[in-house]
Amino acid sequence: MRDFKIQPAGDLGVRLDQRPVALNREPGHIAHLIQSAASLGVKAYLRVWHRYSVHGREYLPQDPPFVMIANHSSHLDALALAAVMPARQRSRVYPLAASDTFFANTPSAALSALLLNALPVHRRRCVHYTLTSLRERIVGGHSILILFPEGTRSRTGACGTFKAGLGRVVCGLPVPVVPCWIDGASTACPPGTRLPRRMPVRVIVGPSFTLAHVSDDREGWETASHRAHAAVLALRPDRDVPPPGLSTRIQSEP
Amino acid sequence: MPASAAADRYGPEGWSTLTTSQRLFDFRFAFDHPVTVWLLWTVLGLLLAGGFAGLILKCTRGKSDPLAREVLVRTASWAVIVVLVSVPILLGAFWAILMVAALSILAYVEYSRVTGLFRERALSWAVIALIVLIGFAVLDHWYDFFTAIAPLGFLVLLAVSLGKGDPRGFVQNVAIASLGFLLFGVCLGHLAYFANSTAFRPLMLLLLVAVSLNDVYAFICGKTFGKRKLCPKISPGKTIAGAVGAVVLTTLTVAGFGQYLLPDTAAMQWYHLIACGILLSVCGQVGDLMLSAIKRDVGIKDTGSLIPGHGGLLDRCDSLLLAAPAMFHFIGYFNGIGLDQATCIITSPN
Repeated sequence: MRDFKIQPAGDLGVRLDQRPVALNREPGHIAHLIQSAASLGVKAYLRVWHRYSVHGREYLPQDPPFVMIANHSSHLDALALAAVMPARQRSRVYPLAASDTFFANTPSAALSALLLNALPVHRRRCVHYTLTSLRERIVGGHSILILFPEGTRSRTGACGTFKAGLGRVVCGLPVPVVPCWIDGASTACPPGTRLPRRMPVRVIVGPSFTLAHVSDDREGWETASHRAHAAVLALRPDRDVPPPGLSTRIQSEP
Repeated sequence: MPASAAADRYGPEGWSTLTTSQRLFDFRFAFDHPVTVWLLWTVLGLLLAGGFAGLILKCTRGKSDPLAREVLVRTASWAVIVVLVSVPILLGAFWAILMVAALSILAYVEYSRVTGLFRERALSWAVIALIVLIGFAVLDHWYDFFTAIAPLGFLVLLAVSLGKGDPRGFVQNVAIASLGFLLFGVCLGHLAYFANSTAFRPLMLLLLVAVSLNDVYAFICGKTFGKRKLCPKISPGKTIAGAVGAVVLTTLTVAGFGQYLLPDTAAMQWYHLIACGILLSVCGQVGDLMLSAIKRDVGIKDTGSLIPGHGGLLDRCDSLLLAAPAMFHFIGYFNGIGLDQATCIITSPN
């Protein structure tokens, strides 16, 4: 028998009104119900409206913790990535969201926390507290983080350069980083669109890698960005290759 | 209600004769029993005293005095708790059972966050479902089912945990879930089961008031006379003097109210009332220590932040957890509880 390992909720003792913006938040029973219902709705919407599909699901690690990264060009991205995970893990998925858009006021913070299970991250300032609590969360072992290393939605649909934020969160930690490519979201719902267009969206999951041996300093963060960028770009489907050939092409890669 | 009518209803046997629907829903009987009224006046007096003490402290020590603030916040929280707990009990047995079930679920939710069990979603929801089932058994007044849920619920928890298909953490998860189910489902269920007695209003109120006063007595006696620690490793604040003082004062309280509440039949003598008070006080303090031990083991100070000035819900209802079943079976052994009331009112109505 293993030793008991009792880990109270990260946000135990945080007042109810401050819970949405608490970085160590973990959804309780009520939030779990709401999120399960919301994720069912989102999955149905993606399937019906965007003919949502996932390729390479077998690359997903079985258990948390892991970090999912992808290109970012639309508000659909976080929903599409979260929908990759099976329902039983839904309340363990935490998309990192810009605090200035998603947590600007109390109602939007409550919605982001309850429906999306998002965590507030400041875009410009990399606050020490934010990084430590995110790293603690990964070490704690119960969380799946969704992170868009570009830091903002691409206005052209192309995948821009990756910022140091990813490296600052995962460098030196033995956590799998799962690269994904989100295809079609930039045409279905580019920045500035009010109603998403009825265009297909698919997620291509790639083989995971870790940055456990990369040092947690400026140089290491750059290495992390480059490796992650290459891994995500490698998944970008060739427009000329039809979808059935897609999975074989990915699997043949190292 | 004229005095003679009340005397008729609480005749020589001391128990009123109410129909099931009167017991469940009729709030016109709320103030029938004199002990109910006395207890409510006592609580109101204590709340007013606390409020005045806070105001006096505020005037003498200045507006921003931490002690004055603490006393006022605590008293205000107490006032809200008293309203939330006593109004359903006064309204009728149905609302009382509903209130205890809600309390059980909220307390369990807090416990699951303290122990981390909430991450095991299926198991955690299974415990909540079992708590609801216990509430149903109580409402139905089906004692056999009520007692059967304890072993069968354990079986359900085992099955749900096995259904996960992963042996890692099996013993830990089942152990924590079973402890939660026993404490908040089975033990608190006994508090709800009092509602099947016709005298449920004074009985439940006396239990709640005595358990709360027990904490207050222990605190005051400990502050005044306390020197030697009771068990410093578990709870450094508790002293032997506080524990003994609480036993004495709580026994006096229970015996004082109890002699008007529990009928003076051959089965229940004055020394039974003394034993009843001692039992309640000891169980209350053991429950308090139990929660302290859990908190120390996990490494936290408060179990939550629901009640301003008190901490979490568990910090407030910990002493109730063990006192409720002890009182239930003690009174049940001598007097029986709800024996004159119709049973299985939902599952096999006449």
